[in-house]
Amino acid sequence: MSAHSHLDHLPAEPEKATLEGRNKILGFWLFLGAECALFGTLFASYIALRGNNMGGPTANELFDLAIVAVATFILLTSSLFSVLAVHSMHQHNLSKVRFWLAVTVLFGLAFLALEIYEFVHYVHEGHTFTSSAFASSFYSLVGFHGAHVLFGVCWIALLVAQLGRKGLTVVTAPKIYVAALYWHFIDVVWVFIFTVVYLMGKVG
Amino acid sequence: MVQNETSSQKIKRAPVHEGMKNHYITFALSIVLTALAFFAVMNPNIPSGFVYFFIVILAAIQAVAQLLFWMHMKDRGHVYAQMAFIVAALVLLPIFITALFWIWW
Repeated sequence: MSAHSHLDHLPAEPEKATLEGRNKILGFWLFLGAECALFGTLFASYIALRGNNMGGPTANELFDLAIVAVATFILLTSSLFSVLAVHSMHQHNLSKVRFWLAVTVLFGLAFLALEIYEFVHYVHEGHTFTSSAFASSFYSLVGFHGAHVLFGVCWIALLVAQLGRKGLTVVTAPKIYVAALYWHFIDVVWVFIFTVVYLMGKVG
Repeated sequence: MVQNETSSQKIKRAPVHEGMKNHYITFALSIVLTALAFFAVMNPNIPSGFVYFFIVILAAIQAVAQLLFWMHMKDRGHVYAQMAFIVAALVLLPIFITALFWIWW
């Protein structure tokens, strides 16, 4: 705890202590707005094309809800862990921040492993990216979300490493806050993928 | 000066600490809503027209709860965040509605 005396000088909400930090958070919300539009177009094309399976497996035949339910639970829990990381940051507890971020990364990796397992299974069932419009729009939407998870996992892992070197300061605090926002956003998008793609696929 | 800083920090820190309860409630709510949607789909006795409507409403409630609590939208000083999101929603909704009209009408 060599950095402890330094931590005592941090303001209560270090992520908003500097103009740069506040601008970073505002800029990130604008980015998330753009991400909404991007995922909106992917959702719209999936909804429009999901019936066109070209004789391949339909959504109802393909999806295994048990795996998807476990993946949903993992992502939801990891989102709670990133809340705990931000909460620990407000308590100025650097080792707890790094611990919760590291657990978030581990759960993100578990989610990715399940998704890869699921995709490999689908490809064996004859559901490939080029097999139908349904398949293309499915892999575009769910794959794009998976790519976001992968990006988040790499980002937060690097953040944990950087926090080990630089500690908790008014410069590093906005990074933690923004990374947590990103991770929550990924979780919110997954709520809609779970509902629109998987659950609705089972309804009919 | 140092003394002054410490005391003002304590006053400012106090409200931040009591925040975790809402986060746990949001987590529990998310789990319950997801499970509800799951069982609504699994139950063959519920008409599919109703299930569509029902699970979208559940997802929307869950998303709003996570935006408000986990993404701190209900906290002070998040006017711009809300504006950015509302503008995005105004872009999104026409796209969704257009897509739905394209399929069903």
